[in-house]
Amino acid sequence: MRRKQGSLHLEEEENEINLTPMLDVVFIMLIFFIVTATFIKEAGIQVERPDTTMADTQDDASILIAISQSDEIWIDRQERDPRAIRGIIERMHAENPKGSIVIQADEGSTHEMLVIVMDAAKAAGVSNVAIASDNDG
Amino acid sequence: MRKHLDDIHFDEEENEINLTPMLDVVFIMLIFFIVTASFIKESGIDVNRPDAPMTESKPEDANILVRITGNDEIWIDRRLIDPRAVRANIERLHAENPEGSVVIQANRKSTNKILVQVMDSARQAGVYSVSIADAR
Repeated sequence: MRRKQGSLHLEEEENEINLTPMLDVVFIMLIFFIVTATFIKEAGIQVERPDTTMADTQDDASILIAISQSDEIWIDRQERDPRAIRGIIERMHAENPKGSIVIQADEGSTHEMLVIVMDAAKAAGVSNVAIASDNDG
Repeated sequence: MRKHLDDIHFDEEENEINLTPMLDVVFIMLIFFIVTASFIKESGIDVNRPDAPMTESKPEDANILVRITGNDEIWIDRRLIDPRAVRANIERLHAENPEGSVVIQANRKSTNKILVQVMDSARQAGVYSVSIADAR
């Protein structure tokens, strides 16, 4: 009896999970996620976003432009000159044509600067623009 | 001699690449990309909705005009409105004219806080087509 059990046990010792197909599947998924990942450049400063209750989640936001309380424009961790924004947006939009622009305007920033940024976005050919807000409701 | 040769051959048959550490690394990278793919979610108010037709000309009277002065005061229909009452006013005007969209004329020196607040109130009132006009 023991001998028989012994030999049975030896046969089942070899239960290897066949790793190769699993590795293939995992590689395919990894390549998929790498290809679809776009790296978003943070604006560089923290702003106090206005409070809202009815905002939508911006799923395809790729260009972040921050307007500080003193009306400075920050893109990609550097302060920018308002006249240079259009070129910057054009360049970033060319890298990711499907991405939208999100303007993180501080509560205390003026409307004038917002309009300058929105005009630059329009001139650069990007129509999908949103203003970032703090959606609590 | 033959037996000896067979033994050598049998030894080299077992060259397995050790898959387990590689699988670990690949799983970590995969989880990293899955997690970072869903993290950056900005919530914001669309200024330009891509599916809305870019209508340039609208009958002037049909739109709900909201004016924001440089002191962040809200004026609708030549009356000063409290920020909390904006939603009710827009609802009323929208009921009178369901076709009209909200047009916000904000002074250059007004803050974006009040602008976003008005846009949010418009959305609460059920009007999603909001446009920003230039106030000279």
